[in-house]
Amino acid sequence: MTVRPPTLRDKRRYLLVRVDPPGTPVDQKELYYAVSDAVTSLWGDAVAGIIVQAVVCAEGDYVVIRCRRGTERELAIALSTITQYRDTKIALRIIAASGTIDSLRDRMKPPSGSAASTKTECRFGGKEYLSAHCDGQKVDVIEKGFKNTNRLFLTREDLETV
Amino acid sequence: MKITDAAVCPFPHGDSSVRRFALEAAALGFDSLVAFDTPSATYGGLEVRCGLFIQNVGMKDVIARVKRVNDPGTVVSVKAGDAGFNRGVVGLRGVHILRGVHAADKTAFDHVTAKMAADNRVAVDIDLSCLIVARGIARQRAVQRYRDVLVLEERFEFPLTLSTYARSVLDLRAVREISGLCSLLSMDLPDVEKALAGAGLVTAPQEPSVKVIA
Repeated sequence: MTVRPPTLRDKRRYLLVRVDPPGTPVDQKELYYAVSDAVTSLWGDAVAGIIVQAVVCAEGDYVVIRCRRGTERELAIALSTITQYRDTKIALRIIAASGTIDSLRDRMKPPSGSAASTKTECRFGGKEYLSAHCDGQKVDVIEKGFKNTNRLFLTREDLETV
Repeated sequence: MKITDAAVCPFPHGDSSVRRFALEAAALGFDSLVAFDTPSATYGGLEVRCGLFIQNVGMKDVIARVKRVNDPGTVVSVKAGDAGFNRGVVGLRGVHILRGVHAADKTAFDHVTAKMAADNRVAVDIDLSCLIVARGIARQRAVQRYRDVLVLEERFEFPLTLSTYARSVLDLRAVREISGLCSLLSMDLPDVEKALAGAGLVTAPQEPSVKVIA
């Protein structure tokens, strides 16, 4: 089959999405299934067939999701209903929408140097924690030990440094 | 007009501290939050208001607990029950928000309760978590119930509030996302803005209907 000329191709739009919490490993295929499931359950198969969603690329904490032009709103609403990915709690924050992936790349922020490079011990509510991610005032911590590995989302002011 | 998320559950109910909630909510476009069982404070310019949520108790206990509220800034909300209970709660002075209407009986919130809510300035809460987390029939039922509430709201003009019931900062949604989710209930942008300001409206002191000028 020959490739269609540009004038006959579908117009597409690309959404730049940040995956929270930072540092979550993103598998493109797994995320596609999560997005597809959210779109289908919210809008149904007929609208999902019009949106034609696809996860185009995943770079660091950012993901680019493609859809047909004019269906960005529907896709954005469906993305806001995604809460889990591989049994991990996540949130997809929409940063921007554009007609080209290149212009979205300019909006991607490089990961900050302080992010989880040094794991410091800290204390909160009488328990000891290890910091998993730091970004400005925000600190994500995980309880020390192997029993409870849930992330807590705190700020520097909440912590008493050991 | 303050854009408010009318219910978040910080640590120890959830996994995020109230300060972190304030930081994230400010980044997502909110001006204030109602946090359950947390003293009122301001963090980084964002106002956090103390919320009291009364649920699964009888009318007598509701009255007793509302009377015990000392802080005038506390936002008092009660979980909806059957029709008689809801009418009693809506008529009670000191109650600001009626929550969980989608989970109550179909006839629990009728035109009489709607009229009383409008007269007493008691808001009806729209729980966005059931639109975000629920799938299938549960979400369909919630959409159906809230559309029904919005028909009454259009007629009687009682206040509305919007809540994410976030237990984690990951459960918070941006104002734009909330407006998108509300479009599922046929709410347009002015309706969403009004509902986001609803918590401030119901807790503000009521102005007298007749004003003496001289």
